[in-house]
Amino acid sequence: MTRGFVAVAGLMAASVLISAAPAQPDSDVYALQDPQTPPRQNPTELSVLLNNPGSHPKIGFQPFAAGAPALADAATTIAEVLAADLEYEREFYIIARKASAGIPVASTPQTLPFAQWTDIGADLVMMGSLRDAGGGKVEVQVKLVSVKSAGGGVREFSYGGCTAASIRYCAHSIADDMHKQLRNLEGVARTKLAYTSDRDGETSVGRPIDNAASGKEIHLMDYDGAGDQRYTRLRRLSIAPTWGPDARSLVFASYAPMPDIFLATLDGRPLTRPAQGTDFISNTTPVLSPDGTKIAFTSTRGGSSGYYDVWVVNRDGSNLHNVTPGTDRSSEGAPTWSPDGTRLALTSDRTGTNQVFIMNADGTGLERRTFAGKADRPTWSKLGYIAYTLERAGGHDIAVLDLARGEPRVLTDGVGSCRQPTAAPNGRHIVFVTTRWGGKEHLASIDYPDGKFIRQLTTQGNNTYPNWSPSPGGK
Amino acid sequence: MKRLHALLLVLGTAAAISGCVKSTKPANTPAPAPSLFPGSASTRGSATPVSGEVPPPPVVIPMDPSVTALSSNPLNNASVVDINKDSPLRAVFFAYDSDALDDAARATMSANADVLRKYGTWVVTVEGHCDERGTAEYNLALGDRRAQAVKNYMVSLGVPADRLKTVSYGSEFPFAPGHDEKSWSENRRGHFMLTAK
Repeated sequence: MTRGFVAVAGLMAASVLISAAPAQPDSDVYALQDPQTPPRQNPTELSVLLNNPGSHPKIGFQPFAAGAPALADAATTIAEVLAADLEYEREFYIIARKASAGIPVASTPQTLPFAQWTDIGADLVMMGSLRDAGGGKVEVQVKLVSVKSAGGGVREFSYGGCTAASIRYCAHSIADDMHKQLRNLEGVARTKLAYTSDRDGETSVGRPIDNAASGKEIHLMDYDGAGDQRYTRLRRLSIAPTWGPDARSLVFASYAPMPDIFLATLDGRPLTRPAQGTDFISNTTPVLSPDGTKIAFTSTRGGSSGYYDVWVVNRDGSNLHNVTPGTDRSSEGAPTWSPDGTRLALTSDRTGTNQVFIMNADGTGLERRTFAGKADRPTWSKLGYIAYTLERAGGHDIAVLDLARGEPRVLTDGVGSCRQPTAAPNGRHIVFVTTRWGGKEHLASIDYPDGKFIRQLTTQGNNTYPNWSPSPGGK
Repeated sequence: MKRLHALLLVLGTAAAISGCVKSTKPANTPAPAPSLFPGSASTRGSATPVSGEVPPPPVVIPMDPSVTALSSNPLNNASVVDINKDSPLRAVFFAYDSDALDDAARATMSANADVLRKYGTWVVTVEGHCDERGTAEYNLALGDRRAQAVKNYMVSLGVPADRLKTVSYGSEFPFAPGHDEKSWSENRRGHFMLTAK
């Protein structure tokens, strides 16, 4: 991976534009009509629209200019993906393409038909153009043009280093950068979901039984459901994948034939088995700590038959220890780390039914946090809430517990069975499993905290145990 | 990712100086301000266009099956597979959300114990399975309790404990694919799988 980066970076660096202009205070106006006019010092209409978190300007998209016939598909894809990524975070409202389909396409900001854009309610027009930069690289330039200023307010972004093969990733990178630049928001457009799927439909090794369910494999896909990639080819059950920091490792449980924890570095190197399972021990539901040094997981090691404990081990297999000892007649499992890595939330049935508990990572300070229905499989978000599966009156929903306010509430709508939540790195969305579309298990996204915008992410097979990757370069 | 930022910063600076860049090892410079794209970190408010380089997407190399050490699964043994296809060891079944053994289950296990006495070298894994109701995680635990209940009873009938392993498949590996009581009742089971002769 490093060698590839060095070679590519060598090509990219030759086209890096390093801004040499001194930073202008508080002005985003690029005064096309009169370049000699010094930028105004007061906030402009454009900067208010773009940078004010209270404003949600309506953006209309022009078709992006391809620059060359070979880039036509790339131009269409980048515009579509960028629009979807911006719409997802709900900082900007994206006007549906069909509403603007009849508006003539302009080639410069000044020649946009502003009256027509005003008629459909656009505050801004997004213009884009691609350029073949040679060596398989594509340069993308994006301009946000203020409709009210009739071309007098333009915010420009340009990006090198895209390739036609990774054009969706290019659009995702642009969206993340725009959210960061304009709203100081960590977007999730470049993040991925790991999950378990039976869509490969292969029978498992050693199970020649009629009607046997197919094996389950670990899959990865982009946060928006595109780019599904099968990761494991083990032809048995591999479940419960979770990501390590910077999305460079994955842990999961695989039945080998007993379930044990596998640690993968995603670069082709062999897997390791840090939990050291044996023929008489089951290890499952692993989670890497936020700094990637430790794995918490559920195990039957050393406990009473049929009862689980939460164990922790270093990723190199050292310091394997039980953090819920002394609980012979109850099961503790399904751990999740706090964002700062000092605590764990987990499920315990010690009070009679499954409930969510929180404790220090060393096992001290165990406290019950849910009291209604049955609660299982917590996931702990950086935004200070824990989402979990709530079971009541025979149905399952996603519930969220705001740790500051202490009162859980139900996020999903009681349609189908909703389970196994995972939170986005920015906490603004939750992906979960639901049976509302045709009865199979599919992954869906829902927004936090208002529970709006349930979006279907998978369409094939049964898909479970989703886990959201950290942002690139983040945790 | 920090190494990438450092690398691009170094190469970008080198490009400005020499106009010609060869591959270099990444330098150990501290990471720049938290923008994703070198060169665009502090251009908010700048009158010139924001520039950035999109790094290539991370490549995930899928697992190579030949690399894993899982091919030593005893279930790969052809004669074990044949026996399991039509096994003299029969499954026991459970009521919803329960690991209790009823009379039918005990009768089945008694017959299974006879088989294991007859084939004194056989090693068996008792698999605990659940129907799809309840959470996946709850079912992993319930399946474990079912398998354990079966093993304990078999041991009480005289089968040596080291010939009986237990595993839970929870609700991950159903025998019947339907979503009704008929399928559910088939899936709530302790399944005897021969693993070694």
